[in-house]
Amino acid sequence: MVREWVEATGSTVDIAVQAALQELGLESRDQAVVEVIKEGKPGILGSAWRAEDAVVKVMAKPPDRKRRRRRGRGGKNRGDGESGEDTRGSDGTPTTTPDQRAKGGKGAERPRREGRGKAQNAGERQPVKAAGETRESTSRGAGEPRDRGRGGQSGEPERTPREEEASIEEQAKVAEDFVKGLLGAFGLEGTVTTTIDDDILKIDVTGDQTEALVGRKGVIMQSVLEITRTVVQRKTFGAPRMRIDINGYAERRREALKIYAARQAERVLEDGGEVMLEPMNAADRKVVHDAVAEIAGVRSYSEGEDPDRAVVISKDEANDDE
Amino acid sequence: MSKGEIAERVVRYVVSEIVDEPDAVELEMVDDGEDSAVAEVRTAKSDMGRVIGRRGRVARAIRTLAGAAGDEEGIDVQVEFLD
Repeated sequence: MVREWVEATGSTVDIAVQAALQELGLESRDQAVVEVIKEGKPGILGSAWRAEDAVVKVMAKPPDRKRRRRRGRGGKNRGDGESGEDTRGSDGTPTTTPDQRAKGGKGAERPRREGRGKAQNAGERQPVKAAGETRESTSRGAGEPRDRGRGGQSGEPERTPREEEASIEEQAKVAEDFVKGLLGAFGLEGTVTTTIDDDILKIDVTGDQTEALVGRKGVIMQSVLEITRTVVQRKTFGAPRMRIDINGYAERRREALKIYAARQAERVLEDGGEVMLEPMNAADRKVVHDAVAEIAGVRSYSEGEDPDRAVVISKDEANDDE
Repeated sequence: MSKGEIAERVVRYVVSEIVDEPDAVELEMVDDGEDSAVAEVRTAKSDMGRVIGRRGRVARAIRTLAGAAGDEEGIDVQVEFLD
């Protein structure tokens, strides 16, 4: 199958993987196949001294497996690679499936792009510096019969691979419903709205009581997001990039972080060396990375394992093997 | 309202939304002292991985939400995922 490998380096395998995931527009490692090319070595005493970068190859994983049970719209295989709603097979029979899966497993004949999620919602985010060895068009290959009848009922019908990912609007609906249900389970009153901007699904929760879902440093809020993403993924075969805000907390935090990051970057510019910031969750780190990226002469990367993963800001000198 | 009720509702809701077989989800709230409870979660075998998530991310998020739910009624809530 067509896969787009992205190679990335980082001070640890994990960091390299994260970088590659970001490149691919993936949210989590679950969505990817990872191949470690070089393990890398930590530096001495946590410094970059004598450190050796890890190198990994990552590509999007097909969204099949574990994604059975899709949402109920009879989810059919859609015949053309990428476009919108497909209503075929509305008779609800598992028309797509095992046959496709079988093929999917084997590679060559399915030049369909991996991770439909990506293809559809994140087209533009396809790997920038992908090695490109395997990138091909997203059209179906010849000899890709996708005759749905074949094998449709046999084998493991649930493992419908290649179900198309829902549109981002549908995903927004799933996310919204889930979060509303969650508020209900908590017994909190609040309003949930979703907006889609630049292929990013933003969930806004408002209402005094919903403050309870923010948590220290937004940790509860991030958990809500994590679960919501998992639910969207399960029900729609992929998840767009998602953000959440509860009563404007994320926005305020983002602004504060930007200022903080800029100040630390200036310090590095003046004093040289590196500054390691306090551990932050992925969303916060992203804000810092983005803020640092706008400042000439410094760069940032992350180090350590969640929940202690932290951004390091350093002078941008050697731009080695990017 | 019985103790841990909010957490129970939240955990049940979240887990059910994540798994393939919501009917196979079992949840038991076990008393664990005055101000704390343990939510014991069982799912179909095939769903456990999903509930745990890669490197335990989903499980951690569920625990955080359960903790938040416990806070709503002033108790500590742990979540255990059992085979």
